[in-house]
Amino acid sequence: MSAPRLNTDRLVEVGVQAEVAHPSHSGTYSVDSYGRPIILPGMAGVVANARVGDLVFPWAADHLEPGVSAGNPQRDRYQALQFLACVGNVVRVLSGPAAGAEGRVTGKHAFVLVDFPQEALDMLAPGDTLLVRAVGQGLRFLDFEDVAARSCSPALVEGMGVEVSADGRLQVDVTAEVPAFMMGAGLGMSSEWANCDVMFTRREVVERLGFGDVRLGDVVAMHDQDHRYGRGYRAGMLAFGVVAHGGYGGVPGHGMGVATIFSGPRERFEIVRSPDANLRNHLELAA
Amino acid sequence: MIINGNELLRTALVGDVTSPVMGMNPYDVTADGVPFVSVGAGGICYTVRVGDSAGGWAADQVEPGASIANPDPAANEALLLYACVGNRVTVRTGAAAGAAGTVTGKHEAFHAYKHVLVHFDPDVLDALVPGDRLLVHACGRGMRIEDRPEIACHSLGPELWEAWAATGERLRVTRVLAPEVVGMGSGRVSGATSVALQTGADEALDGLRIGDLVAVRDWDATYITGYHEDRVTVGVVSTGDSPVLGNGPATTILLSGPAAAFDFEVDAGANLADLLDLG
Repeated sequence: MSAPRLNTDRLVEVGVQAEVAHPSHSGTYSVDSYGRPIILPGMAGVVANARVGDLVFPWAADHLEPGVSAGNPQRDRYQALQFLACVGNVVRVLSGPAAGAEGRVTGKHAFVLVDFPQEALDMLAPGDTLLVRAVGQGLRFLDFEDVAARSCSPALVEGMGVEVSADGRLQVDVTAEVPAFMMGAGLGMSSEWANCDVMFTRREVVERLGFGDVRLGDVVAMHDQDHRYGRGYRAGMLAFGVVAHGGYGGVPGHGMGVATIFSGPRERFEIVRSPDANLRNHLELAA
Repeated sequence: MIINGNELLRTALVGDVTSPVMGMNPYDVTADGVPFVSVGAGGICYTVRVGDSAGGWAADQVEPGASIANPDPAANEALLLYACVGNRVTVRTGAAAGAAGTVTGKHEAFHAYKHVLVHFDPDVLDALVPGDRLLVHACGRGMRIEDRPEIACHSLGPELWEAWAATGERLRVTRVLAPEVVGMGSGRVSGATSVALQTGADEALDGLRIGDLVAVRDWDATYITGYHEDRVTVGVVSTGDSPVLGNGPATTILLSGPAAAFDFEVDAGANLADLLDLG
């Protein structure tokens, strides 16, 4: 067993400006999977009481983005932030009473999601500026040419404890494995953009498929998914991601968001089930 | 099966023939990581017609016939919601003024365009140009099937209903598909959109034609599209296939409800070209 060889020393690290996004709303109801009109919080702003490491589902929320949602009001800068930020990147608060606090990128959705220490989360407000030290796009597993890393920082690979097994496979710990028929909104989009929803919008489906214990920040495997150049169904391919957003009561076709980190042929990987495969452990997130 | 035909309004909506749009970087990327230039969506397509194969074109989600949209985004939302497959269309301006066409589907591209697709005879297509104004005689929104209130009707015009489903108790579709075929389009508002069928996800998609009526099991589109065991959604294939991961032939939603409310007859000929006599 050994750590996989990466091109870490060839990657460039870029400072990208972001700010805590303010929630917005259409002013109309959406409809949940039971046919009920809903207005639920979850997206944008600061969610101070649901964090990476907490359960995905017991919240009265839709597209629950834990911690801080970082965006940029300028469209081109926003796109750069979306594509350059990688899971595991260090983020620093630049303005407001939490200035100086340090957090980590933990996922992507409509915004880049960042976990900060609780003390900072309690002070942060929409409009506070942030600096993302973006590094990871361009990452390669040097001995696995057909495995593509996407929005995955070298620090994340190291923190996850990915190893090359004796028979030459990447050994990856996950808490859960997602069947292809559950993959929803996010298919057809770029691998690096936002995430792909697993269509858990009804409690009975979560229970039937045994996903009740899944936590925000868990690393999961997605079967028959090719997430190398976009996201879509492909038999025999495998994608890995981190659970970026959660919440019940959501809109059909959406659900638990999984941000892609790498993807390749099934036979390149050995999946190991572990209840500890969570970013809170992998990135040693502060309480 | 009987619908509430005498309750349905017929309203006038306008859409202009579009012209293709492009970003500064022309390259999309195929599932295998090969850059390509997307062609086929927007404007007028003379080559591909409803009834033709969905696959085999050097194109990305090719839109058959004329692709229309209203230049005002809010009015376009209404056009997308109210226009129904089978509705009559009249050309109002330009060299083809007065010619008649038929709505055959809808096509939504993420963060890009939302089009209504209209079939015309070849001589009318030759005379049409981008910017020509079309009048859609929209009818179908609010449709209900008597005795089957649990079925939601979406972009289904009474013209198609009469030709396809009014007689007989079984609904003709070309194939019944597994839920994992649905790619981009989960989570969209059912009545105004299309969802992509991932052609690699189910062998039953082999031989698919534009205009084919298809059913997807364990899929619901009562309000918003998404996985739901024991529900079924019926749609009509509106565009050609795509080389992009998670994409494929865009399919316009017609009906959705509990699986028990449907009785299908699999018929390879269940295609708009025949049902609506599209020459």
